[in-house]
Amino acid sequence: MAKILIVDDEEHIRFLYSEELTDEGFEVITADSGYQLLERIEKEKPDLVILDIKMVDYNGLDLLQDIRNKYYDLPVILCTAYDTFKEDMKSIAADFYVIKSFDLTELKNKIKMALETAVPQSREQ
Amino acid sequence: MTEAFLEENPQRVTEAEMVVAIPSYQEARLIGYPTTQAALGLKRYFNDRSSVLINCDNNSQDGTKEAFFAADTEGVPRIYLSTPPGVRGKGNNFRNLFRKVVELKAKVVVVVDADLKSISPQWIKHLGEPLCNEFGYVAPLYVRHKYDGTITNSIAYPLTRALYGRRVRQPIGGDFGFSGDMARVFLASPTWSEAVAQFGIDIWMTTLAMNNNVPICQAYMGRPKIHKAKDPGIELGPMFSQVVGTIFQLMNHTTGYWMRVKWSKPTSIYGFGLGEVEMPPPVKVSEDKLAANFHEGFDTCREIWRRILSPDIFNKVLEIGQLPKEQFDFPTQLWAKTLYEYAASYHHRTVDEQDLLNSLIPLYFGKTLSYVRKTERMSVQQAEEFIENECMVFEETKPYLLDRWGE
Repeated sequence: MAKILIVDDEEHIRFLYSEELTDEGFEVITADSGYQLLERIEKEKPDLVILDIKMVDYNGLDLLQDIRNKYYDLPVILCTAYDTFKEDMKSIAADFYVIKSFDLTELKNKIKMALETAVPQSREQ
Repeated sequence: MTEAFLEENPQRVTEAEMVVAIPSYQEARLIGYPTTQAALGLKRYFNDRSSVLINCDNNSQDGTKEAFFAADTEGVPRIYLSTPPGVRGKGNNFRNLFRKVVELKAKVVVVVDADLKSISPQWIKHLGEPLCNEFGYVAPLYVRHKYDGTITNSIAYPLTRALYGRRVRQPIGGDFGFSGDMARVFLASPTWSEAVAQFGIDIWMTTLAMNNNVPICQAYMGRPKIHKAKDPGIELGPMFSQVVGTIFQLMNHTTGYWMRVKWSKPTSIYGFGLGEVEMPPPVKVSEDKLAANFHEGFDTCREIWRRILSPDIFNKVLEIGQLPKEQFDFPTQLWAKTLYEYAASYHHRTVDEQDLLNSLIPLYFGKTLSYVRKTERMSVQQAEEFIENECMVFEETKPYLLDRWGE
């Protein structure tokens, strides 16, 4: 069972995503801010992170940079209410992005793709 | 393979931890600027390391060497390497560089184009610093005008991404960083070819880095790349065949790797915090020329297309050839399948290699025309999203390649 970490400062989003993704068979853990996020990732070892871009005290794109610097291949899906973040080139370090919605079909599709992405770890000819 | 013909090493440098290389051919007018900026970058950000600037040249007769030695490098030593007279090719320059890097026992190598007009000392920092940490290969990331780099946008980026599963936005950007260990990998590779010795070198290095699972990062350059940009409808030359031929050739060598790749992963980015993103200057394209070059293919390449493409794809290409100008569209999925069928045909040696590559050029012009028309009213950012969506189509269509490859 894949473990997903949801990082979002909005309680109702954490609740909705947790419920829906738990129903899909994922193990879900949540964080309400970016505080000590890397330590949390280190401790919990999630298979995927869903990251809100705009949190009150944290910029999700900066957190994404921190995650990517330490965890080269950890899948990260950016979540946002607006798509203006794409103007910031930092966003391309994410595996995918989704616009926040009560319909989680798109998010679930992207989670599936991110988790089944396969890049071999050793050369084979 | 070409041996270095000439070396001028006036400061008798025998070892250097860091190398900044500038490959060139007939760049006397422009090489002074990147040389000076590179030296400033070395002094400012890598002053604690022994370093050298190397001009890897194709025996230019326009005074490139003299301009390189005349530039102010604030005491950073210089080496000039050249291929023998008559031997051209960017790749040949790189091969001389790889040998020199190994000889100098360099750990960090940065390469910048000789015709760069927008390089700053920070480019050296951003391309070099990741190599001092855990990365082995650094590709550039700059904002380019939506019509600059059309081979990258239509072929090199979507294909390498779908094949090798790494999103490297500028796989043939021209400015790179690589470790001394990577230089050894490049020298030892059995995949060197005549196309790699020319303009195939950039995609060859990036592909080898991906295929060897070397940690890759993209260095954000802040400024757009301003150099001698070319109108894709007018100036294409042999570069197309060399780049695409190298991609196809490497697919033969790396089949066991790319067949196991599903979807793609992002690549780390280094170097933000350079302030405002500067927008690139516009690049003009001639839609009429693109359309004319595409339609010319129906006279010159129809028979070879019939041999390379499946009947379904061939007929679809014929259909879009009939479309009136205002409705012209080369759908992305058709383009992806076309490229995949070309790659499979190259693999199966259905037709002569060079004929195959030449016959792809008119189709590429058609795809470029379609891209230009679709992105006409888009901002640079919107065009980027458009390209990202096209890449997803390439990834979704990859099973089609596997089918064709196995036939």
